[in-house]
Amino acid sequence: MPSVDQTAPRPRTGKTYWRSLEDFADTPEFREFMFREFPAGASEMLDSTQRREFLKIMGASLALAGMGISGCRRWPEEKIAPYASRPAGRLPGIPNSYATSMELGGVASGLLVTSYDGRPIKIEGNPEHPMNRGATDAWAQASVLELYDPDRSRHVMRNNQESSWDNFSSWAEAHFGAVREADGNGLCILSEATASPSVLDMKRRLLEAMPNAKWYEYEPLNNDNELAGSILAFGSPYRAQYHFDRAKIIVSLDSDFLHAHPAAVKYTRDFASGRRADDAPKTMNRLYVVESGYSLTGANADHRVAVRSGDIGAVAGHLAKMLSSSAANWVGSIDVAKPMLQQMADDLASHRGECLIVVGPRQPGEVHAIAHLLNEELGNVGRTVSYTARPDAKPQAASIKALAADIDAGEVDTLVILGGNPAYNAPADLDFASKLGSVGATIHVSSYEDETSKRCTWHIPRAHYLESWGDARAYDGTIGITQPLIEPLFGGRSPIELLAIINGDDVGAGYDIVRRSFGGVTGDADFERHWRRVLHDGFVADSAFAEQSPTVRSDEAETWIIALARRASQERPGLELVFTGDRSVYDGRFANNGWLQELPDPLTKLTWDNAVQLSPSAAENIGVETGDMVNVSLQGGSHVEAAVLVMPGQHAQSATLTLGYGRNGVGRIAEDAGFDFYQLRPSDSMGFVGGATIAKSSGSYEFALTQHHHALDTVGGKGTQDRLPTIFREANLDEYKEHPDFADHRVHVAHRLSLWDESNLDNADYKWAMSIDLTTCTGCSACVVACQAENNIPIVGKDQVKRGREMHWIRVDRYFSGSNPETPDSVAMQPVPCMHCENAACEEVCPVAATTHDRDGLNVMIYNRCIGTRYCSNNCPYKVRRFNFFDYQVREPVRETGLMHVKPSYYTRPQSDTHPLQQLQHNPEVTIRSRGVMEKCTYCIQRISAGKIKAKNEWVKAKPEDRSSRVTVPDGSVVPACAQACPAQAIVFGDLADPNSRVAKLHAHERTYEMLEELNPKPRTRYMAKLRNPAPSLAPAAPSSQGSAHG
Amino acid sequence: MTTLPLDNTFDDPTRRAPLVLNHDDFGSVTNTICGVNERPKPPRAWYIAFAISSTFLMVLGVLIGYLFWTGVGVWGNQNPAMWGFPIVNFVFWVGIGHAGTLISAILYLFRQKWRTAINRFAEAMTIFAVICAGMFPGIHVGRVWVSYWLFPIPNQMELWPQFRSPLLWDVFAVGTYFTVSLLFWYVGMIPDLATLRDRAKTKLKAISYGIFALGWRGSIRHWHRYERAYLLLAALATPLVLSVHSVVSFDFAVAQVPGWHTTIFPPYFVAGAIFSGFAMVMTLAIPARQWWGLKDFITLRHLETMNKIILVTGSMVGYAYIMEFFTAWYSGAMYESFAFVNRMFGQYAWAYWIMVTCNVIVPQLFWFKKARQSIPIMFGICLLVNVGMWFERFVIIVTSLSQDYLPANWDYFHPTWVDLTMLAGSFGLFLTLFLLFIRYLPVIAIAEVKAIMPAANPHAHDHDKEASA
Repeated sequence: MPSVDQTAPRPRTGKTYWRSLEDFADTPEFREFMFREFPAGASEMLDSTQRREFLKIMGASLALAGMGISGCRRWPEEKIAPYASRPAGRLPGIPNSYATSMELGGVASGLLVTSYDGRPIKIEGNPEHPMNRGATDAWAQASVLELYDPDRSRHVMRNNQESSWDNFSSWAEAHFGAVREADGNGLCILSEATASPSVLDMKRRLLEAMPNAKWYEYEPLNNDNELAGSILAFGSPYRAQYHFDRAKIIVSLDSDFLHAHPAAVKYTRDFASGRRADDAPKTMNRLYVVESGYSLTGANADHRVAVRSGDIGAVAGHLAKMLSSSAANWVGSIDVAKPMLQQMADDLASHRGECLIVVGPRQPGEVHAIAHLLNEELGNVGRTVSYTARPDAKPQAASIKALAADIDAGEVDTLVILGGNPAYNAPADLDFASKLGSVGATIHVSSYEDETSKRCTWHIPRAHYLESWGDARAYDGTIGITQPLIEPLFGGRSPIELLAIINGDDVGAGYDIVRRSFGGVTGDADFERHWRRVLHDGFVADSAFAEQSPTVRSDEAETWIIALARRASQERPGLELVFTGDRSVYDGRFANNGWLQELPDPLTKLTWDNAVQLSPSAAENIGVETGDMVNVSLQGGSHVEAAVLVMPGQHAQSATLTLGYGRNGVGRIAEDAGFDFYQLRPSDSMGFVGGATIAKSSGSYEFALTQHHHALDTVGGKGTQDRLPTIFREANLDEYKEHPDFADHRVHVAHRLSLWDESNLDNADYKWAMSIDLTTCTGCSACVVACQAENNIPIVGKDQVKRGREMHWIRVDRYFSGSNPETPDSVAMQPVPCMHCENAACEEVCPVAATTHDRDGLNVMIYNRCIGTRYCSNNCPYKVRRFNFFDYQVREPVRETGLMHVKPSYYTRPQSDTHPLQQLQHNPEVTIRSRGVMEKCTYCIQRISAGKIKAKNEWVKAKPEDRSSRVTVPDGSVVPACAQACPAQAIVFGDLADPNSRVAKLHAHERTYEMLEELNPKPRTRYMAKLRNPAPSLAPAAPSSQGSAHG
Repeated sequence: MTTLPLDNTFDDPTRRAPLVLNHDDFGSVTNTICGVNERPKPPRAWYIAFAISSTFLMVLGVLIGYLFWTGVGVWGNQNPAMWGFPIVNFVFWVGIGHAGTLISAILYLFRQKWRTAINRFAEAMTIFAVICAGMFPGIHVGRVWVSYWLFPIPNQMELWPQFRSPLLWDVFAVGTYFTVSLLFWYVGMIPDLATLRDRAKTKLKAISYGIFALGWRGSIRHWHRYERAYLLLAALATPLVLSVHSVVSFDFAVAQVPGWHTTIFPPYFVAGAIFSGFAMVMTLAIPARQWWGLKDFITLRHLETMNKIILVTGSMVGYAYIMEFFTAWYSGAMYESFAFVNRMFGQYAWAYWIMVTCNVIVPQLFWFKKARQSIPIMFGICLLVNVGMWFERFVIIVTSLSQDYLPANWDYFHPTWVDLTMLAGSFGLFLTLFLLFIRYLPVIAIAEVKAIMPAANPHAHDHDKEASA
């Protein structure tokens, strides 16, 4: 309705009448009088915009009245949008899955992302992808949280001031126009390691258009040494592809191929398949690991020797001396017991063609070359190892050094940094951060406004891989496609889109760039079909690198040995520092990811921090304990103050420092977490460096460990060792062959009496159950993050983890065995979800029946009914129940420390901007738990329901004569998140009511046991005892198969 | 009769020791005891004590608000020790609440006449201790706004509590105990309330006391009904003394946590409760008799008798400690044995040894008559017993939970400032109620005390004379 604006001057047309002299004069006072003729506020209503105010006031009065009448509960205000035009193939509430790829360190993993009403909520491995086969690591699982990270960069920044895309575009057009004119003189690009065909295509175009431009690459966790080793061994770069499934004897020299390897997911699967010794003739592989500090691979070794990283070359030299004729000139001494080395060599020699020597990326090129030589001489090439081309054929340390030199020489006017964070993670001696200031224009595209962004002229928000088009290559070379599942939340761009701007490319959108590099010509019918197929599959079938057969230049082998010996003699004495990627935050890029920060490290069980890991004896020598501050310094002056974590199995002359922490100012999660050890990392030895000093300094630091490290005290330590054989049952292969039912005899259960009538679940339609194979579980903890993502499990923050209030529904218990903490005999890794006991101790004690059994035999938690007495958790012998002490879902995690300290602002103030964003990640199938209720593993009951609904629908649709008398859920169609993520396929889930299901067979297996069966809980989650395969000559006395423990 | 202070602590069995000193007529007894309530101003000590305790009570109130507003995470409770200070405090206060009904009911049925001097006192203490105790489980639950689901309230969904849960038994046991104790206390007080009504100088007092005196006129019929009711209530309360703490102990004994799951718990808890209850009666009685001039009623002989009970129950508790170890060892069960060895020598050994020292070793001093009759020593010992009994519950609850079956879950419990302040606040609540009780209600059962005076039984007096003659 048009409104009358009485204050507007009236057009003077026709005769002019006036009401008074004031009107005639048309003074402002008169106009005001006219306007104010009616009561205050009334005139405002006549104006269309102000009428809204009126309605607001009316609405507010109504709302106030409503509050008075209907109570003062505040419901969240929500806006809804009608789904007027539904995209084809999308049903509201029905999740869709898209295949995509995530690149990490230049290597892609194939993923399948579940999208719920346009929100990607869960990442899984692409079941078709040759490397992933459905599994993922924890990083991929957690990457979806990064998408919704409220701290991700949202704005284009110019000199740390908020700017805009328009400003950048106009600046870039002018600037790069000039650069192009000058053939790219003074333009340098610093990219992350990438094998993306599109990036490489853009790079080619850029260098074609601007021949004087330079392209550098830097990745802090790189494979420079592998590359050097390959060039030494073969004369040109090759990538070794291992086939652990075919190897019977595996020797790892400082290689963590089960975790810190780009192909770790596949290698874990292959390794696990070589550990399954159940079928005749009951053989399994044997893993020797030589390393300085515990890696996940070391934790899974049959024989592990702690050797300084700097001395591992000597082990390689010695092995070569024992096994090879062409490199037998090693003379130095080594740090490994002779029988062990002899056994290793004997095993290798007697398993020609089915053994494998793997070297880790920290070891110098010569060690890699020797391994290539030995693998060739042992006949492993083509069987347990094959070679392909490698796309990362550029040494990264050398590359960034060259860039630093160029900057020093004043040759760089424009530096474009595509991802990465060199100001933070470049080698310390380059002082890259301050060099950035001397470059005329620096442009950094990154997900966070990080250390580098703050020193650059321009910061460009980077689109998350779930928001952008791209492509990548997996470790075996399989080309994968990255497709967006959501519009960029914060308007970021991908590196290829930035490159298009720099190139002045006429194709600017990521989609078009990827299609173009895919070789597409629009309109080609065959291309479209191919393209659609790739979008569907997520990868290009059969696009792996072709196998190649290089030969080792064995005539040069002696020079490698000499080089190794020279290295050994030049080695700086004293303690060595070993730099390794963190098992949670990788190289630091996941530092603001709460799931990963709160994920306990599989071995140290440390959350929210990193530490200087020292062996117990080294710590004693320095006079420190876990939590004491030390000063770590290198010859040359660089030093870092950090806290010590005493770690069993660490070599006494070696300190492990994990990288990626100590980042401040990048986000709320990363703030104050841990210590930055990049400051110690020299460019000439990025793996490890000798000659370090660690001295006690003042102060102490509190770590949030989810498991107490050592025995809390001597009584507790003894108690742990006493009960471990019954909790974590294991045997050596020989014992298993002799007594296949050894697991049953680790404990005697005198009787199985129940206080109550046992629930009769015999006639249930379904009997869901889980089997966890301890033999194949490596402890990688991907299941923990997968569960967190699937089940809307909040993070609680360091402060709460210290109080033991982490919420993980599945945890991985880690125990060291043996009497000497310096050299533990072995490590036990045991994932513990809810056991879904048939005689559930929790159910008996709940006063309000909030936890009961459902008809399928699941122990379910009724959140609505729970009043939070926490009695169930006390009575649960496995302690798998988790309690919401606070409203963790709406709180910001804090690191606040202090035993007696609580932080009222944390407990009372809800998150401001973060909550709505993080809500987007929530799985709508899973209830958000409020403060004050207990929660626990549900066996992913939402997935069970989905499976049952699907089976029922199919049953109904099937012809009556074709269908069974009752609805059965096909075995394997319900997979909980943990089982789904597990790279080792150690977790199997299914229905015991179906005698042919895998889980039914595994439960009947002779290795299967019930944890704490003495209590007669009848758990539905059962374990398969761990098998180890130590060499008989080295094996410690086998434990008696008739255990002494009684129930 | 002499008016000089008399020593009634002699051991001569041929003489009956007087239970009331310095009073030979009923009138002076009434005057003295009612004088406590009738004096225009209480002693300065009362004001100081009330100021302190009501401050703590207010702090408690604020903290409960804070707790409700934010969540139970403000306490130190954690995984695995999901129960921490609140439940420790609950069991502690329930234990304290034992002495009252024991003194009133069981000693009444056993015709222990000396109980009349302290029964009112002890019953009041019981009521207040049970209030403190009942508060903790109520505020302890995660969703306090639905804690009423613990009660079997008929509802449209036909949802009932889960009757196998010992926590539910607790609700009934503590609820019943509180109700019966309150009734017993109140019924016993009716004649004395009438006395106060009759002596009231202001209208307000007369009306207030009059309402609660239920029209008591002291007729024979009244007395007859009263005595019947009192006897019946005593009979009803007696099993409750044993049952309530037995049921509380089921919270632990029925669970399968090593260190909790023992059949010795019910008698052990009852003995411990009486032990701590008597210690608390002593802790309150000693200053009260001093400040209000009640030494003639709560005589040294009374205190000594209670000290003997403390010695006996303390020794029973000590025996239970030993038996626990024996059964744990004898069972051969690894987890049980560990739980007890760990208590003694593990990470919480300090708490265990505080408990043993305070509960078992220190009360042994009461073997000596000197210690039993020395006010400072007995007061010190009783304070230590209170401390020790609090630590007993801490040891049982926290050490057992902190290290149960799977070592990966083991942790160390740290209280927060809220835990400690709420414990102090619960004492504030207890003492505030107690001080109000002293100020406004007859602290000693006037009618009953009169009944045990020689004047109530002139013939006995004659016999006494004859005997001594």
